Amino acid sequence: MTTEKGLWDRLRLRLLFTGPTLFAFLAVMIVPFLYGIYLTFTNWDGISTTSTFVGVENYFSVFQDTVFWKSFLLTLKYVFVTVVLINAFAFLLAYALTSGLKGQSLFRAGFFIPNLVGGIVLGFVWQFIFSNVLVYLGKELSFPLFGDSWLADPNKAFWAMIIVTVWQYAGYMMVIYVAGLMNVPNDIMEAASIDGASLLTKLRKMVLPLMVPSFIVCIFLSLQRGFMVYDLNISLTKGGPFKSTEMVSMHVYEKAFLSRDYGVGQAEAFVLFLLVAIITIAQVYFSKKMEVEA
Amino acid sequence: MKTMKWMKVLALSLAVMMFVAACGKNEQQESGSGVKITLLNSKGEIQSQLEAAAAAFKEDYPDITLEIIPVPAGQSPFEKASALYASGNPATITMLDTGDVEKFKDRILDLSGEKWMADAVDRSTSLTTFDGKNYAFPLAIEGYGFIYNKAVVDQAVGGSFDPATITTTDALEQLFQKIEASGKAPLIVSPMDWSLGAHYLPLAYAGQSSDPAAVARFVEDLKAGKVDLASNSVFNGLLDTFDLMAKYNIDKKSPLSGTYERGPEVLGKGEVGIWFQGNWAWPQISSFDTASGQYGFLPVPVSNNADDFGNTQISSAVSKRLVLDKEKNTAEQQAAAKTFLEWMVYSEKGQDFLVNQANIIPAFKNIKLEAKDPLAKSISDYIAKGKSEESMSTLPADHWAKIGASMQKYLAGAADRATLLTEIQDYWKTVK
Repeated sequence: MTTEKGLWDRLRLRLLFTGPTLFAFLAVMIVPFLYGIYLTFTNWDGISTTSTFVGVENYFSVFQDTVFWKSFLLTLKYVFVTVVLINAFAFLLAYALTSGLKGQSLFRAGFFIPNLVGGIVLGFVWQFIFSNVLVYLGKELSFPLFGDSWLADPNKAFWAMIIVTVWQYAGYMMVIYVAGLMNVPNDIMEAASIDGASLLTKLRKMVLPLMVPSFIVCIFLSLQRGFMVYDLNISLTKGGPFKSTEMVSMHVYEKAFLSRDYGVGQAEAFVLFLLVAIITIAQVYFSKKMEVEA
Repeated sequence: MKTMKWMKVLALSLAVMMFVAACGKNEQQESGSGVKITLLNSKGEIQSQLEAAAAAFKEDYPDITLEIIPVPAGQSPFEKASALYASGNPATITMLDTGDVEKFKDRILDLSGEKWMADAVDRSTSLTTFDGKNYAFPLAIEGYGFIYNKAVVDQAVGGSFDPATITTTDALEQLFQKIEASGKAPLIVSPMDWSLGAHYLPLAYAGQSSDPAAVARFVEDLKAGKVDLASNSVFNGLLDTFDLMAKYNIDKKSPLSGTYERGPEVLGKGEVGIWFQGNWAWPQISSFDTASGQYGFLPVPVSNNADDFGNTQISSAVSKRLVLDKEKNTAEQQAAAKTFLEWMVYSEKGQDFLVNQANIIPAFKNIKLEAKDPLAKSISDYIAKGKSEESMSTLPADHWAKIGASMQKYLAGAADRATLLTEIQDYWKTVK
């Protein structure tokens, strides 16, 4: 019906279906994004009725803002550790929970639940655990590792964030890996068994190569979430102690809304966007090459 | 077939139109019977009192409905107010911090001609006066210093404690030692960045001189990078006192692990004698109170000479201001908002709300009601005796966070005094 009509007819039909979504997408994503880029060329402070055009000055400020780059490096470290740990844990959980364990659906649901709790709430819950529950236990059982609040020490606060992040996302990624594992065809696994492959060989030569698409998705998701972390950062450590765990998103937010430097804040957000886009696109591009057919 | 398709197109476009129309429909539709005004409240602890005040106001002025909108916890008043302006829907009355008023001055009403201007206490409107016009209503005076639990310090000094005896750093240390000897912890230092960065350290700016103009000049010099803090006696004196606080801190083993909530608990229960905080903490302290409401303030000494400025003065200032929008609110709404301000200052119910319900120290000479809460009373006493030091209320917006972090580092022993002072100097050089 659509093929024999002219261009306008086809376009009209498409607009009928995609129009509303397209409108919403333009209005809440594209327009603000472009307006944000425009703001990077001004020195607006968030409230004044006027603002001046300052050219690329804000971008120079971004490159001179050593704190921004410091928190970016910290974020890189955080992303690296969380991506490795989330995916390792998620894969192991998924592998264990597809091996026919008793009550495995219950376990799957249990591990997935942290993901249903919002980051802010989760941060407050864990803040209580780290600064009250663990300290209390540490004192009662005289276990020096938990004697003082982890959140009061720059290094431990960083690891506290990692623990909570891994706990939150491992279950989510596990679901994706479970789906991947169930899609590994039984016939080739059986063939491998008949050929006498050990459990480890099967995992290495059969399962892992066939799971590459799942890995791509999971690593992409954990990368992107790691870079964008904000809610957990603000509710668990507030960037403290003394700004030592301030991730890059939080720095950008504070630049714009606390220091009231919208121009520089927006410019930093845009630079961050570019960096994250490059990293994630590169990840997807290179890992696509590792995909194999069964 | 053809008609079906047109029906679909019609239905869809109708849906889109309704959606768009729903978005655009936020113009106030005043039914002739009265005026509806809104107040953006950024003082979360008095939300329910404000709502009660709005109800009481309605009894006196049945035509005016006042709705109180809270600023969500964790958001700054500036953020919320600017977001409301950006959406074209500002509150009629907005409660701002002193330092923010200037940014809004193109959008808010000049209040210089109001009746209450004549009764406002000295200097309460000077910081919101630009080009000779005052733009804000001073809502609350707040002060801070060392809050003492009288039961604990009485026991420590063996008799009735006289706060006037603590006028030097040495006297303060002796008091700490006596409290320690009595088996209690001397004090708690709450390590929040806002407490250290917005309240404690700014005492060093305010303590430079009793003349506000000289303090303003000092801040200008800091911005210009012309001040050497390492040789500044007020800074060093204040940090000497801070070292003492850190030494006698109940949490000195892990100084950064404390939270705000821990402060009122240990002070109220009498586990410590002293807490550095302000009169806004009374509701929390009172819920743990074991000293039958006997608390008061001590100034933070900055030297061993009792006559030095700051050693006998309590830091206080108008902290919250109300401003009236003139951009989106109608003339009737603006007039109604002015009526509400006047009602608070001159009506019996309004004064009762300020002093008795909301525990506010009002900035108006005509209000004679005496505060019921001991902390507000203590601050009012210091002000009445002329023993007050103007708090720094127009510091740059990110001062508390940046300097607060530097102070935390110093408190935790991760930075020495030279590093701290350099960080403060460097911070000021980045301020535009």
